[in-house]
Amino acid sequence: DGAAVLPAPQNLSVQSTNMKHVLTWSPVMVPEETVYYSVEYQGEYESLYMSHIWIPSSWCSPTAGPECDITDDITATVPYSLRVRATLGSQTSAWSTLKHPFNRNSTILTPPGMEVTKDGFHLVIKLEDLGPQFEFFVAYWRREPGAKEHIKMVRPGGIPMHLETMDPGATYCVKARTFVKAIGRYSAFSQAECVKVQGESLPL
Amino acid sequence: RGLRTCLISTNLRLIEESFRGIKQAIQAKDTLQNVTILSPSETLHGMKALDVCCMTKNLLAFYVDRVFKDHQELDPRILRKISSIANSFLYMQKTLQQCQRLCHCRQEATNATRIIHDNYAQLEVRSAAIKSLGELDIFLAWIEKNHQGTSAA
Repeated sequence: DGAAVLPAPQNLSVQSTNMKHVLTWSPVMVPEETVYYSVEYQGEYESLYMSHIWIPSSWCSPTAGPECDITDDITATVPYSLRVRATLGSQTSAWSTLKHPFNRNSTILTPPGMEVTKDGFHLVIKLEDLGPQFEFFVAYWRREPGAKEHIKMVRPGGIPMHLETMDPGATYCVKARTFVKAIGRYSAFSQAECVKVQGESLPL
Repeated sequence: RGLRTCLISTNLRLIEESFRGIKQAIQAKDTLQNVTILSPSETLHGMKALDVCCMTKNLLAFYVDRVFKDHQELDPRILRKISSIANSFLYMQKTLQQCQRLCHCRQEATNATRIIHDNYAQLEVRSAAIKSLGELDIFLAWIEKNHQGTSAA
């Protein structure tokens, strides 16, 4: 094991949005040299029962950049400890460990992107494809006094979905939010989008 | 009132995927073909709905406290999958703990659990751990069957 002469990476942190988790750190600078990094993780199980076991991350053992996509490693809703060390030739730094274990239930859930379109008299929505862990709750209504709001659960995203057959001359509005069962959380609703249908509105 | 009233909201599909990724490699290391630990015919599949919650709790503990600890894995690829399953089971245990009042243990479940532990104890510990890991699909299928509510996730 090479003597630990390289400085250990600093400022480890995790950015997590919509269940995509990226570990970042400050790069170790060595003029005219490429420093590589190795990332390892421990789930709560390992830290409780097998604390000597650290698992090499799927994509970053080693990696050249000061960041690592750990999404495929964080596969349960429990705290994960993460550590990084730098390597240059035979020189290896000490491990730097994330100050607070990361739990994916802290991920930021953003309102989903959506496209609301008309196909003749059909109200159609296409939602952002956020991956298999996401369900979508779509609310839609006819814009008129006392309108009733309808709710539909859509899964997965990325595929156009028929919501309603519309009346001529009417305006319909749609908004959506995501739900991730693995962490039991919803996003905020997106802004409502409205479409108006051609033709004379029918007498009430 | 069985597991249905104390639902585990866990993504079983991802756990099954993790197991499928290592099943062949794990079962290839199991040299004792005529022996079973979970012994489906008498133990698990005979369970009544009333005993499902307790049996689930007991088997999660069996794997978390015994099997995963007794198995030493060197291949990082397999280690990752086992870690994923172990941490998911830990999460399921926490979910079940919230249902403590609904998870009564009758004699039937206690006896069935003892059979499994006795089967395990009769083998050399590494062989027992490998065999139990290889039989995870039996346990996962049993949870799926008794826990239809979550499989849609």
